[in-house]
Amino acid sequence: MSDQARYGGVLGWLDNRYDLQPLFRFLGHKEVPIGRHSLLWYFLGGATLFFFMVQVATGALLLMYYRPGEATSYESIRYITTKVPFGWLVRSVHCWSAHLMIVSLIVHMFSVLLLKAYRRPRELTWVSGYALFVIALCFGFSGYLLPWNELAYFATSVGTDSVKSVPVVGQWLLEVLRGGPDVTINTLYRFFSFHVVILPLAIVGLISLHLLFIQRQGMAPPIGETGPSRGMRFFPNFAMRDLLLWLACLLILLVLAVFLPYGPGVPGMEWQLGLKADPLAPAYPGIKPEWYFLWVYQLLKEFPPHILGLEGPQLCLLIVSVLGLLWGLIPWLDRRARAEQESPEFSDLGFAAVFFLLFLMLKAWDIGATKGADEAANLATVARTCAWIVVVLAVAINVVRATVYRHRWFLLSGTEVLHVVLHGFAGVPYLVAAVIAGALGGFALLVGRWRTPGADGGVVRE
Amino acid sequence: MARTHTRRSFLDWLLGTTVLAWLASIVYPVVRYLTPLPAPVHSGPERLTRGDLNKLDEKSFAIVPLGRKRVLVFRDKKQQLHAFSAKCTHEGCTVQFVPAQSVVWCACHNGHFDTEGRVISGPPPRPLPAYVVTKDKDGNIFVAPEKA
Repeated sequence: MSDQARYGGVLGWLDNRYDLQPLFRFLGHKEVPIGRHSLLWYFLGGATLFFFMVQVATGALLLMYYRPGEATSYESIRYITTKVPFGWLVRSVHCWSAHLMIVSLIVHMFSVLLLKAYRRPRELTWVSGYALFVIALCFGFSGYLLPWNELAYFATSVGTDSVKSVPVVGQWLLEVLRGGPDVTINTLYRFFSFHVVILPLAIVGLISLHLLFIQRQGMAPPIGETGPSRGMRFFPNFAMRDLLLWLACLLILLVLAVFLPYGPGVPGMEWQLGLKADPLAPAYPGIKPEWYFLWVYQLLKEFPPHILGLEGPQLCLLIVSVLGLLWGLIPWLDRRARAEQESPEFSDLGFAAVFFLLFLMLKAWDIGATKGADEAANLATVARTCAWIVVVLAVAINVVRATVYRHRWFLLSGTEVLHVVLHGFAGVPYLVAAVIAGALGGFALLVGRWRTPGADGGVVRE
Repeated sequence: MARTHTRRSFLDWLLGTTVLAWLASIVYPVVRYLTPLPAPVHSGPERLTRGDLNKLDEKSFAIVPLGRKRVLVFRDKKQQLHAFSAKCTHEGCTVQFVPAQSVVWCACHNGHFDTEGRVISGPPPRPLPAYVVTKDKDGNIFVAPEKA
């Protein structure tokens, strides 16, 4: 039992009963590694956690008024936003923090990728983090249907329809997910259960596991720095900085929620209630899913009806699933990082992924389209405009990588830029352009023309 | 080397199968509980309501329920009636008839079908399933599933 005189007041009372000494000793010894890279990257997980906590708090408040049902879902959301004092603000904060949580999660994931923080022995931290990302997307998807408006109805119709591509059990899974063959109010009941019970339980369990891994193993030091390194004391030095960041996040969140209560008005980032869902109304022009699903939405458009003996959507979703699986297996695929060596290929993979996703997102937004123009001409204009944006951005980013961070490996990002160039400027169909760019990239990889052995490309430095 | 069967290996096997049976006794009811009950098959013709007929006059198309299915009924330039599943064969969005272009269009991924339900352009992999549409002498319009 601890010494009573060690602490005074409530702390002393608690310490007398629960022996807090091991906890304080643990906090006193816990350190965050300081290396060549910015300490900023270590705060992103905490920011994500903060937005999640805001989600829980505002979600609990929304539940006080929300009533799931064909005659009540839409009406209760309208009641919350128009009649309940500050109801609009609670909903706005809930929606904004959902988007900001996904943003900070994505940035967190890419920072972990660039710092190679997933390398041995932290493989399961990456996997649990990736699972958390997938659950966060499921949260967004299930929450989308709850207002039971037109946008929610069609987004859910398209999103859930993809499930039928799963071999053998696809149709059964689709019906289990929807509560029937089509999206009906039964689907909303199931999604409500997912959104407020099943997913929260799953995410709390996974967050606990993720944090446990981090506590047991500590934060990953920069790659190659295996010896004793400098560190910042977690408590109070890092924790106080974390709190300061949370305060900044709260301020940003509130400013956005107050001044843009229904989102920035960009398709995929707006939550105007609109019209109530009507299963007998056709999908309206310009309908778009949430911004983080836009790339899949656009990719589905790029696939022809039939390809390689499969239906286009089936092959598309198969490829997306394989890519998703490979992303989860990165800690095992990156063998150089496992051996504490630089792995510039995987840093470049991260940038290639960004260019790939960005191009599809921009294209889904029809950037560069002019109203009333011929459809085929518009498609070409949109592809060209989006290609320009991605190429300019890619060149700028890769110049910074080469000059500031001394990266020397650009094969994958270069291949993706070539893909975009072939499609956007030369008018080659998206998939054909992918095959050509992929073949050329593969050839270049084989002959090793672009590769400088031992180049340092994998570390984010200050 | 020949494998010997001991009392311990038998008990291990028994314990393993018991655990599996125990898991199955939990999973099976849950799976059955989650699987929606099959809806009754709607085989008879459905008459379009006055509201549907008004929509047909105003927009040249109406989407009508037929059991759990949704059917797109539209009138082409020759005033001929057509009926197809309103569910796009690509990702299941609800399609509509565009009278100016005489095409069935899905706004979600820009799929186009002709008035016979065949894919003209876009990603839909299959034609729209057809329904039988009839009009009686009193002007009532009926929709029914196509006989196999």
